[in-house]
Amino acid sequence: MGLVLRLFCMLCIFLLYSIPATGRNKPVPEEYGRVIIDNFSRRAGLAPVRFDHWLHRAIYTCRLCHVDIGFAMQANETKIKADANEKGFYCGACHDGARTYNESKIFPSCSTKTVKPEAGKRCTRCHSTGTNAEKKLEYAAFTAQFPKQTYWNLIDWEKAEAAWLVRPIDFLEGVSLPRRALKAQKDFSIASKSTWMPDIIFSHRKHITWNGCEVCHPEIFPSVKKGAVPYTMLEISAGRYCGVCHGRVAFPLNECERCHTTPVAR
Amino acid sequence: MKKNLTPAAVVLVAAFAFVAFTASVKPPFVSSGPAYAQDDWKKEFDDVCAGTQDAMLFDPEKLKELVARCDALEPRIEKLDGSQRKVMLKRLRMCRDLYRYVLQSKEGN
Repeated sequence: MGLVLRLFCMLCIFLLYSIPATGRNKPVPEEYGRVIIDNFSRRAGLAPVRFDHWLHRAIYTCRLCHVDIGFAMQANETKIKADANEKGFYCGACHDGARTYNESKIFPSCSTKTVKPEAGKRCTRCHSTGTNAEKKLEYAAFTAQFPKQTYWNLIDWEKAEAAWLVRPIDFLEGVSLPRRALKAQKDFSIASKSTWMPDIIFSHRKHITWNGCEVCHPEIFPSVKKGAVPYTMLEISAGRYCGVCHGRVAFPLNECERCHTTPVAR
Repeated sequence: MKKNLTPAAVVLVAAFAFVAFTASVKPPFVSSGPAYAQDDWKKEFDDVCAGTQDAMLFDPEKLKELVARCDALEPRIEKLDGSQRKVMLKRLRMCRDLYRYVLQSKEGN
């Protein structure tokens, strides 16, 4: 009976991870990391906001938005309102019509004042879900030079940064606090629960560059004792722990070898 | 005299060229100015939360002091209006929670 149960579990795990690999759930690179923000838009007579991580993470670090500006790590949890943007919070921290990037003004976000019909294009630059609104920066052209990952042709951000194709900004004048360079903790290993899967080497260095400490601790990883929490792939697949980012915005979970990097020595 | 002037002139021209070049090169991101009013709660927030990068270097006493300062600051931020309150409370709690986390980690060890 024990053997049957074990075989059944193995079959379940195999099926769970092979479904995306067959391509049935294969994400479209352009849509990977896309967040549809729809807390108040429809009530205001606007299409929900289509937020693309690929564009913003090429320019800014995760920490800048998720710590300094205060965006939550869960979609639709921040509950951004137009008047907050207009006052310079959330999207309006950068999209204020005055800040510039590469000598171009960043377009302003919301206005709670009545906008003339011809000014509606301003709204549809973000409120574009389900519309044919033209985007100024299209995925294919913007990412043409970026290295791609092994599976699914997604952008390999680590390589893109190593090749100086992206240099995300980590400081927003008037919003961010001046920060010293963070000295990374040493890499450490996390034992794999399976004998057939190599252990994980967790690199703090790779993670702190864009995240700092506060993005992960303690909200995503609250345990202070190494090994106290038995992280499982099922929980990670469900969006907990590493799965808050990996599989949604950061590289997907089917790139096993990027975490499970050490040879099995047992 | 002329021989002595030539290298000095070269140095001056090079310095002028350097200053002119650095002044003409704009950083990629240009700020439109501060988004927050610079009053006393903000000064305290900046002072307390600027150390999150160094949290692992602080001893438990320092971490306890920082957590206490965050706790003391919270009611002041609670009094702010609307979005400023919401954003700054989130930032303060992230900062305080990190210090607490590091403190627990150090005390556990």
